[in-house]
Amino acid sequence: MAKVQDWARDRLGLDQLAYLAQKKEVPVHGLTVFYYLGGMALFLFTVQVATGILLLLYYRPSSAEAFESVQYIMADVPFGWLIRSIHSWGANLFVGVVVLHLVSVFFLKAYRPPREATWITGAVLLFLTMGFGFSGYLLPWNTLSYFATKVGTDVPAQIPGIGHLLSRILRGGSDVTGATLSRFYGLHIAILPAITTVFLGIHLVLVQRHGMSVPPAIERKGKTPAMRFVPDFLMRDMVGWLIAVAVLAGLAAFWPWELGVKADPFAPAPAGIRPEWYFLWTFQGLKYLPAKIAGIPGETLGVLFLGGLALVFLLVPLLDRKRSRWWDIAAVAVLIGAGVLTVLSLLPMKGAS
Amino acid sequence: MRERLLVAAAGIWITVAAFAAPAPAKPTPATPASKAPAPALTTGCVDCHLALDDERITPPAKALADDIHAKTGFTCVFCHGGDANAQDQELAHDRKKGFLGKPAPRDIPGICARCHSDAAAMKHFNPSLRVDQLAEYRTSRHGKKLAEGDTRVAQCASCHGAHGIQPVKDSRSPVSTKRVAETCNKCHGDAVLMANYKLPSDVYAKWKKSVHYQARDEKGDLSAPTCNSCHGNHGAAPPEVDSVANVCGTCHTVFAEKFKGSPHRVPFEELGLPGCVTCHENHEIVHPTEAFLAEGDQGKCGSCHEPGSNGAKAAAAMRADLTQLDERIRAARETLARAAEAGMEVSRIRFELSKADDALTTARTDIHRFQVAAVHTTASAGLAVAREASKAADSALAERDYRRKGLFVSLAVILVAIAALLLKIRDLKTGQPPPPDLH
Repeated sequence: MAKVQDWARDRLGLDQLAYLAQKKEVPVHGLTVFYYLGGMALFLFTVQVATGILLLLYYRPSSAEAFESVQYIMADVPFGWLIRSIHSWGANLFVGVVVLHLVSVFFLKAYRPPREATWITGAVLLFLTMGFGFSGYLLPWNTLSYFATKVGTDVPAQIPGIGHLLSRILRGGSDVTGATLSRFYGLHIAILPAITTVFLGIHLVLVQRHGMSVPPAIERKGKTPAMRFVPDFLMRDMVGWLIAVAVLAGLAAFWPWELGVKADPFAPAPAGIRPEWYFLWTFQGLKYLPAKIAGIPGETLGVLFLGGLALVFLLVPLLDRKRSRWWDIAAVAVLIGAGVLTVLSLLPMKGAS
Repeated sequence: MRERLLVAAAGIWITVAAFAAPAPAKPTPATPASKAPAPALTTGCVDCHLALDDERITPPAKALADDIHAKTGFTCVFCHGGDANAQDQELAHDRKKGFLGKPAPRDIPGICARCHSDAAAMKHFNPSLRVDQLAEYRTSRHGKKLAEGDTRVAQCASCHGAHGIQPVKDSRSPVSTKRVAETCNKCHGDAVLMANYKLPSDVYAKWKKSVHYQARDEKGDLSAPTCNSCHGNHGAAPPEVDSVANVCGTCHTVFAEKFKGSPHRVPFEELGLPGCVTCHENHEIVHPTEAFLAEGDQGKCGSCHEPGSNGAKAAAAMRADLTQLDERIRAARETLARAAEAGMEVSRIRFELSKADDALTTARTDIHRFQVAAVHTTASAGLAVAREASKAADSALAERDYRRKGLFVSLAVILVAIAALLLKIRDLKTGQPPPPDLH
């Protein structure tokens, strides 16, 4: 056994890895709890990868078989219901945790130099996460996902000039069809994971390189006490992961993710179609816009505004160089606005049900 | 579009006819449209009748503006005769010029038929319109009575109106499929009038309780039967006893076919029983249930078959089969609903159960074979499917329980792991400095 360990140590550089792990520290202060969000996001991502790979063994990506294959997974594959429900619930928890992680990083001003690239890669990872959600939503090929994708892929068409081309590229044609499903499947299981691996790798290397950021207000008080990452922080992280596993198992057992009714492209759009909750605010916001604003289509302006907002979000570390409080106020306004729009988009559905 | 074409066709025809044939010296009101000259679309008749503002003669002139005939170039004189160009009432209403005034009811079918029975004339206006209405009408009870001199019966104008006539497909027409029942009821709901013919006056009220009316009213299915669907329109008459099954069978083909091969067909004919109507009524046709097969006064079979007779036993056996299948399907559906509510994937079981629904429907149609074995075979097949679906639904519920038990076991393990971690964390000396640099 010792020989095997020596053999591995010599070839894999395990000593250096062990040293790095032991050397890594995490600052301890009143807001340390927010440091756990990054680890939680990474854990949930791992759960998504693992359950996604298992689903791949049975899922068939064609408009004729997708729904039936998911039905088979839910009804016949041993623990298929558990894997699919964890994947679906996990996706939502993952998005929620990633959003919370970025919000906390924003308000803790963790994007200050030298961590600008960490923020930018994190923001890109949020966009990729949303891409995972959008592409994965269509894969069961049910009525709700089909029509929501129709609406969702119409949004880029509002971009002047290249909008229609973008929409066609997304759909693989002029409408949402089996070609769209193949495309979204490819995105979901190959293209996005490949890009995510690159950005996640850079993000994690940068986190190791720069360590955890201490909020300015705490930093000003002097030297911050720290705890070892291994095992002190990691064990606390693991408690959180175990709680996440318990929550996912509970959700899967009591509320298995619904499959719905197979999509029928020739049927009229049902009432209450909606995208996933994290897109609701944009969906509702675009609905409220008037047909024309200063002679320009309202939706076009809305999509351009959202694009601008995403760009500003991405470049926050470069734009907020003077640490102005206005950035916090603007971020709070955006969060409240998004929250109100989300609630408003849910209200009519509640009334209708 | 169609109306425009008609107007255009009429316009062309009127122009050519007017050019080719000068106005006859003696206008005859009974001239078919195919041979008649075309007067101006607006005539002196309308001008005077509108100007007079008389409640008896002005409304018809007003209604004419929206009349299908007026729109295709026909004017008052085509039906009423007289001289439309005369400026004087006496000249306009000159009997020598063929003036008829208000046509007598017995003359109306003939007046209408001058064009509507003239295939050559109708070709110019609506080639697809039938031209046998008068022939049909003469076979109807209405037509026969009119021929006998009874002018209270319906003739063309009674149903279609005299002025402001709309095409049948126009929902404003009193004989459009939406309104024809109300139109028939104007006379057939008149108890005093119907008493003269010893006919009931509640047929409309009864029809409104029927499944046919429900289909029209609740589902908006205008193909469901209204009066003329079964009685005919121009040849309106009650279906004869031996043709009732044929009438119902035009829509209910499966039932009619099964009844034809049943042991009831011959006895019904011999007894003069009106086929389908014997059990289902004629106008108040309610949704049939298994209770139809009950013994005694409660059921339909009991009206002929004495309790304890072979017929009554057969009815009871068929009823038992249907009831058992129905109950089993309901039970399976309830269990499935509970499983679905718990988030179980049961759509395939539901699909399988729909085959039992199909079997129940088929078994109900098999009642019309009046053979216990036929119903039993179909119902048994459905019962087997429903039993399987019930088992699958029970399994789904058992699976739900298994999942929940599994969850609690997993949660217990997770809790133990969390507790162990927390104990370990408590023992850690958090804040210990990292090891010295190896490099």
